[in-house]
Amino acid sequence: MKKNYFKKAVALAGAAAFAIGLAGCAAEEEAVVAPTTGDTAVVAEDLTIAFVMGAESDPFFQAMKLGAEEEAAAQGVTLIWQGDPSNYSPETQIPIVDAVLAQQPDGLVLIPTDPTALQASVAKAVAAGIAVANVDTRVGDLSDVLTFITGDNEDGGAKAAEAIANAIGYTDGETYEVVIGLTSATATTNVARKEGFESTIAANYPGINIVDVAYSESNPEKAATNVNNWLTKYPDLDGIFAIDGTNASGAAAALESKGLVGQVALVGYDAYPDNVAKIEAGIFTALIAQDPAAEARLAIQTLVDYLRNGTAPANAEVVIPNVTLDANTSAADLVKYTYVAN
Amino acid sequence: MSSSQQPNLRLERFKAVAGNQNSILLSVLIALAIVFTLAEPKFFSVATAGNILTDWGSIVLLAAGQTLVIISGGIDLSVGGTLAISGVTSAWVMSTVLGFDITTSGSDAYPPLLVGGLVAIGTGLLVGLINAILITKLRIVPFVATLSTMGATLGFAIIISNGMPIGGPNDFSLISPINPTWMPLSWAVIGVIIVVTAVGLFLHKSRFGLHTYAIGSNSFAARAAGINVERHLTKVYALAGALAGLAGFYVYLRLGAGSPSSGVMRELDAIAAVVIGGASLMGGIGRMMGTIIGALILFTVQSGLIMAGVAPDWKKVVVAVLIAAAVAAQTLRPQNRAR
Repeated sequence: MKKNYFKKAVALAGAAAFAIGLAGCAAEEEAVVAPTTGDTAVVAEDLTIAFVMGAESDPFFQAMKLGAEEEAAAQGVTLIWQGDPSNYSPETQIPIVDAVLAQQPDGLVLIPTDPTALQASVAKAVAAGIAVANVDTRVGDLSDVLTFITGDNEDGGAKAAEAIANAIGYTDGETYEVVIGLTSATATTNVARKEGFESTIAANYPGINIVDVAYSESNPEKAATNVNNWLTKYPDLDGIFAIDGTNASGAAAALESKGLVGQVALVGYDAYPDNVAKIEAGIFTALIAQDPAAEARLAIQTLVDYLRNGTAPANAEVVIPNVTLDANTSAADLVKYTYVAN
Repeated sequence: MSSSQQPNLRLERFKAVAGNQNSILLSVLIALAIVFTLAEPKFFSVATAGNILTDWGSIVLLAAGQTLVIISGGIDLSVGGTLAISGVTSAWVMSTVLGFDITTSGSDAYPPLLVGGLVAIGTGLLVGLINAILITKLRIVPFVATLSTMGATLGFAIIISNGMPIGGPNDFSLISPINPTWMPLSWAVIGVIIVVTAVGLFLHKSRFGLHTYAIGSNSFAARAAGINVERHLTKVYALAGALAGLAGFYVYLRLGAGSPSSGVMRELDAIAAVVIGGASLMGGIGRMMGTIIGALILFTVQSGLIMAGVAPDWKKVVVAVLIAAAVAAQTLRPQNRAR
């Protein structure tokens, strides 16, 4: 009997929560949508948008999740948020996409972990009448994809190069030593940022030599190890480009423990709250930030617009620029770009 | 009675072998140091020694616990996850609960750090006890039991932290070499050496250690000899968990933040150190000194390859060769061939 009571209580609580949630959605839908479309049939239709991302453990996707939830609530649509807890790979992602498609959502936002391997999943979704958007990364053939929204990683790398050159007071004719801390040799974002960084250095700052690179394998402690060893090997090191949040954390810690804060320029990536706090403390010369929440909001907005009103987006590809955060950035902007933790 | 004699006899034999193993390991370490110094003269420096010891600190804590577990005939795959969740929980308590942020530094950071350290060890202990319950009460084999706690701890570390590092109070001088010109040890590493030495003495000089070897050699015989195997294994996994929790705190000190991704794959580094150190995954064989030097070899290779400018991917290959060589050396030894 006791067990039954407990089950009933849980079921009731669940049902109540669900009802409240529905009521909330319905209210928002009417408020937001009814005046603009005036079509009650569309309003009554409960849209479901599935969002399959790369790896839950990545703060980038955590920030994206908040943007997606916000926009789904604002649009009054149901959001299915899915993805592997920690593996960024097509092997784990494809079955997740299959499972999500079986739930028959109206739209799918997909962050393909591989441009080729996920192409079939996109085709499968479209064949089932599901509209597909790509965010951050894309499948090779975009013809089935309604919209592709991404941050410009190459531009981010270029901005990092500018920030480093500024910080070390670059003068023509002088030579400088800079290293790059990467997560892996193949991660597409790493590759694009590195390319942007290298090409800007080559074009504008020929005196800067990129003397070394190393991989942290997503582990900040390994990132710190890399920087520790570089500081020993290159006693005159001028700057470090830490290509993502993990490398940024590790490099910042290494500079602090070696007492070299301010002596070696450090440009990081990804506005984790902890990293943003370290701009103010002078540990980061600059931090390049993406806006994953904006990417997610725009993707859901575009899909909902298309599903409700049949309006296709004006541009099939949208690039949301990266921004440089440094000591001169206003407090409001620092807050705006910080990856929010809920 | 012969069953209770057997472990003792074996223990004596392995003591002799281990002495030998240590000298082999030290030779490997010295050879590596020479090779890397030839490749990059700056490798032979106090700074490099400091870098290697700083890296060594966290893994040797994991590996010390892993040594106990492996000698007892088990395996603990959850130590990396335990490191992560302990560091994150500790950071969360210090920053969110106690309200200290990264601006608290120097000796002002000691009171919250003390609390944080206890929280980390407590978290690790809790995970270790869960492992013990899964293994001794629910009779799940250690590989599977700790595989599931590995997933759970890594997952919870992400949930608590939203996948982002949690910054908090810190005194970075605790993790920096005491004197960069002549003293590569940091206070944190000295603490680690004290803890690992204590665990080593516990393993080799106490009845607890003797029982650990006995269970790993033959748990039926150990039971017949009157050892409460379940209770003993509970202690072993709890201790391994607490040490992993302490490692989580060490990594917190190193980063000034609790990072959910700091534990990923660390269990494999720990197991590699133990295996290079000469312990057998079959149980009953292993020495703490072997593990200590095994971990030193791992990080000498890591630092050496970075310093020598060798492509980072080669590190994995070199470590793989070392593990294979260590295991081969073990099985080819005449005493072990008879098994």
